[in-house]
Amino acid sequence: MKRVLRRSTLVLILTIAFIAGIGYFTAELIMNSRDWVAQPYNAHISGSGGLEQAGRILDRNGKVLAQTENGVRLYNEDERVRRALLHTVGDNSLNISTAVQSKYRSMLTGYSLVWGLNMPQSLRVSHDITLTVDADVCAAAYDVLNSYGKKGACVVYNYKTGEVICSVSTYGYDPQAPPEINESNESEYDGVYLDNVISSSYTPGSIFKLVTAAAAIENIPDLYERTWYCEGSEEIGGSDITCVESHGEIDFKLAMAKSCNIVFAELAVELGAEKMTETAKKMGINMSFEFDDVQTAMGYFDVSKADRNQLAWSGIGQYSDKVNPMQMAIICGAIANGGTGIAPSYIKDGTGDLLSLIGIKGNKKYDLVAPATAQKLDEVMRYTITDYYGDDLFGGLSVCAKTGTAEVGEEKLPNAWMVGYAKDADCPLAFACVVEDSGFGFEYAGPVAETAMIKAAEKLRGRM
Amino acid sequence: MPDMSLFFDLGVVGLRIILPLYAIVIVYQCYAAMRRRRRPEKPLVSLYNTRTGGMLPVVFWENSIGRSRSSDIVVSDPSVSRNHCVLLRRKAGWFITDVGSLSGTFVNGVKVTGRAQVLIDDIITIGTTNYQFRRGDDFQSPLRSSWFFSKVSDKPAIKAWKLMLMVTLFHFFMAAEAMFWNDGTNVYSPLILFFALAAVEWGFFSVSYFALRRVNFELEALGLFLTGVGVMLLVRQVERSAYVQLIAAGIGIAIYCAIIKFIEDPDKVNKLRLPLMIAAVVMLSASIVLGKVTNGAANWVYIGSISFQPSEFVKTIFIFIGASALDTLQTKKNLIELIVFSVVCVGLLALMGDFGTALIFFVTFLLIAFMRSGDFKTIILAVAAAVFGVIIVLWYKPYVANRFSAWRHVWEHAQDTGGYQQVRVLTYTAAGGLFGVGIGNGYFKQYFASESDLVFALCAEEMGVIVAIVLALSVALLMIYARAITTRCRSTFYSISACCAAGLLVVQLSLNIFGATDILPLTGVTFPFVSCGGSSVISCWGLLAFIKAADERTYSLKR
Repeated sequence: MKRVLRRSTLVLILTIAFIAGIGYFTAELIMNSRDWVAQPYNAHISGSGGLEQAGRILDRNGKVLAQTENGVRLYNEDERVRRALLHTVGDNSLNISTAVQSKYRSMLTGYSLVWGLNMPQSLRVSHDITLTVDADVCAAAYDVLNSYGKKGACVVYNYKTGEVICSVSTYGYDPQAPPEINESNESEYDGVYLDNVISSSYTPGSIFKLVTAAAAIENIPDLYERTWYCEGSEEIGGSDITCVESHGEIDFKLAMAKSCNIVFAELAVELGAEKMTETAKKMGINMSFEFDDVQTAMGYFDVSKADRNQLAWSGIGQYSDKVNPMQMAIICGAIANGGTGIAPSYIKDGTGDLLSLIGIKGNKKYDLVAPATAQKLDEVMRYTITDYYGDDLFGGLSVCAKTGTAEVGEEKLPNAWMVGYAKDADCPLAFACVVEDSGFGFEYAGPVAETAMIKAAEKLRGRM
Repeated sequence: MPDMSLFFDLGVVGLRIILPLYAIVIVYQCYAAMRRRRRPEKPLVSLYNTRTGGMLPVVFWENSIGRSRSSDIVVSDPSVSRNHCVLLRRKAGWFITDVGSLSGTFVNGVKVTGRAQVLIDDIITIGTTNYQFRRGDDFQSPLRSSWFFSKVSDKPAIKAWKLMLMVTLFHFFMAAEAMFWNDGTNVYSPLILFFALAAVEWGFFSVSYFALRRVNFELEALGLFLTGVGVMLLVRQVERSAYVQLIAAGIGIAIYCAIIKFIEDPDKVNKLRLPLMIAAVVMLSASIVLGKVTNGAANWVYIGSISFQPSEFVKTIFIFIGASALDTLQTKKNLIELIVFSVVCVGLLALMGDFGTALIFFVTFLLIAFMRSGDFKTIILAVAAAVFGVIIVLWYKPYVANRFSAWRHVWEHAQDTGGYQQVRVLTYTAAGGLFGVGIGNGYFKQYFASESDLVFALCAEEMGVIVAIVLALSVALLMIYARAITTRCRSTFYSISACCAAGLLVVQLSLNIFGATDILPLTGVTFPFVSCGGSSVISCWGLLAFIKAADERTYSLKR
């Protein structure tokens, strides 16, 4: 009998394992219940959306972006604001999964793990959420971006605090009157449920030269003593690499300002696949940045199978390179910050996140660039603006930037890019802007970035 | 007229908050009752060493005697074998069996062959040591008792009828809640179902109390509590199933009583092993031949309008085959018979594609094999063989692995079969909060298998995650109980079968809950007692019978 008792310990261990499993499940439930609840198929919140009782969504100045009156969800009275903030605020459906009304639907509708959903209406408590975005800045940027009628995205965020001031994405629609998407109009709404700021990645073109430049600064000691000769085209690895114009004799700083393809293609080949990959990895190209319970789309840099020519193209943001707008804003913010990127956030107040309430969860930090490298990148990016465009462009802000024009194939016009940041202490803003199927970076992305930055600076300074 | 909606809302919310706390109280009371009202720990008989004058207490119904330190009665005498003999108590008195010792066992100088009766004052010779067989009262020192049992002096347990009243009241509250969430035409149907349920519960109680004159009812109360929750959860889903489930529970209870009667004599049951094994194999084969493939597994047999799962009944037989009395255990050590039977069962289940049940059988086999032999080598060998078998299956039928490819990635498979069910389980479990949205007020009930394989989420959504976890723990705690009474069983047959039956329930429960919540791959097995499924609830009551039989009072005490 004693033996049987001793052997029964095996069954006891099984039971203890079961109880441990229940404990594990409970922990998962506590950590993730909000995400689990906020699903489009959840009948407690889908359909009418559960929004007939939901709290308000406000912008950073307290402007109401969405609220419920008499059981009806009403968005901001200005259609421009509604459209501009569609991807940030969301609509009644849960189609835009990264929008606040999708991510925090459960919270807006008064969900808590204790009481669950479907508390009787008379007893339910709902919560307001305040966002970091500025409705007017977004509307102004959206107007410019939307005027092209192309897909695109623009984001401006504070690289010191992580607050996102402006975030707009096209295509869009009015959340007060969401379209029925069917076969006849689906091209007009292609990818409309994606927030391109967060969830899309694009061929970067010349803005990727920031990565190549960083690799060169760190690995080529006599970089600043060197000069190159650009004839507008050069054979590397059997095929031609082309440049927009023939720059003649050119040094590193000027090559950056004029965005000379030949110089950066040669640098990429000289650095080699290993060093380029190392720098791209360190700068966060192949990773997702996490914030507010979402992740940015991953960028892409893989030259493991590239030949010499392809490696050269990869150094100027072509080949298979991809980046995401939010990711580029974070990288620019890191350069401005002496190498440390701060994860952005759209939420100023009100999600009642347990971890942030007890202060564990600040904005995540990422070491993306070595401080010395950041300093040098800052110089060349600043030179790009002062030498080429002048400070008037950004309404007097001391901006450092890089433009890009990425070829994406024969059927489409290039992606226009502009990324950068302002050095001003009272406006620590980084930005990234992309317009698909358009043309030169400065010509298309420039005006959107400019509008967003100037408006954002006005608002920030006006408040101080 | 004042607005009454707030009043009603408060009432329903109040009920929702009370139910989880009440469920905790019920389960606590059931287990508290199991801990109390035991006979005090004292020797049944004792052995007087005629040479040294030392006195050995004999505390168990079956005692192994030998030189081995793990024997129940250790005789430190070099002429005694490590496992020498077994002293056991039966209805007719005390017996001794030699289990293949070198020097033999003698009673009053006569060599023991087979089982020999021992009477008070007889002299038992083991090796060179002589013991006089004496009464238990002759041994005076106090004995240690298991931590599980409360002291004899503690206040008596809750009266069985009071416990039953608590259980019934819980089911009534469930009915009341379900009445609140009606569609206008079915306001009173939960109440009618409740009365039917109460009739079954109290009918069983009356039979146990008045006809069988059992002294305790807490194990049955726990079973009824779980079964009743399962039945009441169905009223707002498929009302007809609720009645089918209730009838099945009735059959299960009848089988429960029958099994207890059937295994009353642990020696007689030995003869029935072979016919039962054949019956089990026939039943499993029948479901392969006659079975219809339902949800990827051909484990259903249809006879007329009645359908059942033979594999569920085989579970009970499996436990039965695995256990045996101590003297058989020590003489017949090899596990070949058990291994062959298990391989056939697991193999047939795998052929049906019912991997969940196959896994339950396999783990139960490990438990039984270890409880019988204590041999880790066998376990390791069996696990190795199983892993090898799985690899071979995956080699030749790689698509089998696809069924489990979504495991731990269910959110990426929210819209395909890989993760469809699991993500909905998680969503609706979380949607219920701690206290649930109210019985009949949930949406999870619309999903396929929500009342059976995924019942954990149905329960969590409508009654709250607290109730769901309390139900799960109450089943798991059966194991703690089965282990606590192990040494007080009338035979190792009962201790082994009770532990393994409880173990089987825990394994099944783990696969059910963790499968549905994506902690383990989803295999589709039922939540013991609660899941809708006639065969399942019957087999659970069948397994519970082994735990009840392990309680020595079931047979030896009458009210």
